[in-house]
Amino acid sequence: MNMTTALARLLIFPGVLFAVPAAWFFLWVERKAVAMMQGRIGPPFMQPFYDFIKLLGKNTPPREGVSGLLMRLWPLIAVSAAAGAVGLLPVLPASGGFEGDLILLLALLELPSMCIVAAGFSSRSIFGEIGSAREAALSVSYNVVFLLAVVSIAASQHTFRLEALAHLPATPLQFLGVAAILICLPAKLHLNPFSLPNAEQEIYSGPMTEYAGPELAMWELSHGLEWVAATGLVATLAAPHLTTWWLAALVFVALSFGIVLLLSAVASATARLAIDTTVRFYWQCTLIFAVLAVASALFLRFRS
Amino acid sequence: MSILKMLWRNLWGGSRTMRFPLKPQETPGFRGLVRFDPTLCTGCAICKFRCTARAIEFKGGKGEFTWSYDPGQCTFCGRCVEGCKTHALHQIAECPPVYTTVGELKESHTLARKPPAPRPAPAVQPAAEKQTANPAPEAAQ
Repeated sequence: MNMTTALARLLIFPGVLFAVPAAWFFLWVERKAVAMMQGRIGPPFMQPFYDFIKLLGKNTPPREGVSGLLMRLWPLIAVSAAAGAVGLLPVLPASGGFEGDLILLLALLELPSMCIVAAGFSSRSIFGEIGSAREAALSVSYNVVFLLAVVSIAASQHTFRLEALAHLPATPLQFLGVAAILICLPAKLHLNPFSLPNAEQEIYSGPMTEYAGPELAMWELSHGLEWVAATGLVATLAAPHLTTWWLAALVFVALSFGIVLLLSAVASATARLAIDTTVRFYWQCTLIFAVLAVASALFLRFRS
Repeated sequence: MSILKMLWRNLWGGSRTMRFPLKPQETPGFRGLVRFDPTLCTGCAICKFRCTARAIEFKGGKGEFTWSYDPGQCTFCGRCVEGCKTHALHQIAECPPVYTTVGELKESHTLARKPPAPRPAPAVQPAAEKQTANPAPEAAQ
C-alpha cells in the first residue's frame, strides 16, 4: 500500500468521508431500533447529524481546575483512532492492506476506550472517575476474550492480514471466534447489559459528565465510528468471499446492519448488570473460550 | 423468553409516542394553567392561603388589591380553584410555556376593591307568628 492509497483509504473510502455518515446512520439505526422495540417512535433519520451540528455550535463552559488541553485532546485522539480503524477495514475485494494490519486495527479499536478512561480522570468529576474506573475494569475483562478470539482466528488462518482473513474460507474456529467477539461488542460499545461506564441513571454519563459542546460532539462521533469499525470487523470475519465488488460491499453493509439490529435487540431486552456480575461473566467466558481455543489450536496442529 | 415476545410485539405494534408537535389527547379534568377572571374576584385572598407552592401572591391596600400568579412556581394542584367561592379561578388544559428567567411568566392584576354588598334587611315577622313565638302568660300557666 503506497501513501496515496493509504490516504485515500483513511480520508475517503472506507475512511472519514464514508465512515462519518455511516457512523450517524448506525447511531440512528441503534436508537430507532431500541425505540421501536420499546414501543416508542424514536428519533428522525437526521437526528444524530442534527445533534452533532447543534453540539458544535455550543460553547464549552469554563471548568476550574481542569486542564482544557487534555479535555480537548482525548476526544480528538478517540475520533482519529476510530476513523483509522474504519480505514483499515477491507470493505472491497483487493483493497490492499499490509501484513499485521489486524494488530493495528485492534490497537486502534482499543484507543477510544483508553481515552474514555483518561478523560474521566482528567475531568476531576466524581462521576467521571467512577465511570472511568468501571470502563477500565470492563476493558480488562472483555478484552481478554476479544483479543483471544481475534488471535485464535488469525492463528488458525496463519495470517494477521485482514484482507487475507476476509478471503480465506471460514473454519469452525472462525465462527467460534466471531461468536466470542459478538459477546464482547455490547461491552465495547457500552450497550446494555454492560453499559456500566456511562450508566445514565446512576452516574449521569460517567466520563462524559463534564463534557459539553464540540468536545461532546467529538465523543459522539467517536462512538459512532466505533460502531462502524467494530461491526465492520465482525462482518469482515463472517462475510463469505465474493469476487463481485458491489455484491461484496452489499453483503458487508447488510451484515453490519444485521449486527447493529442484533445488538439493539440485546440492549432492549436486558437491564444493566452490576460491575462484579459483568466482570465474572467475562472471566467465565474467557475460561470457556480459552479452553476451546487452545483445544482447537492443538487439534489443528496435530492434524496438519 | 417473554421479553423477546414483548419486543417482537412492540416492533410491529406501532408506537405509543408521537412526533413533536403532535400531542396526546388530554384526559378530562386535566389540571393545567390557572386562569383568573378579575370581574368575579372579591379579593378574599383564600387562594393565596391555599397555595402551598406560593405561586399566588396577594397584596391588599386601601381601596385596591394586587393578585399575582407565577405559572413557573405552580404545581397545578388546583386547591386555589377549589377554594374560590366566586369561581374567579379555573384551570385550562394548557401547560406553561418554556421560560428562561425566574418569574418571566408571572402575571399581576391590580383591582379596585368592590364595595361590600348591602346587608339584607331583617325580615319582618308576621304578627301571628310573633304571638306563637311568645305565648301569652295565661296560656303558659
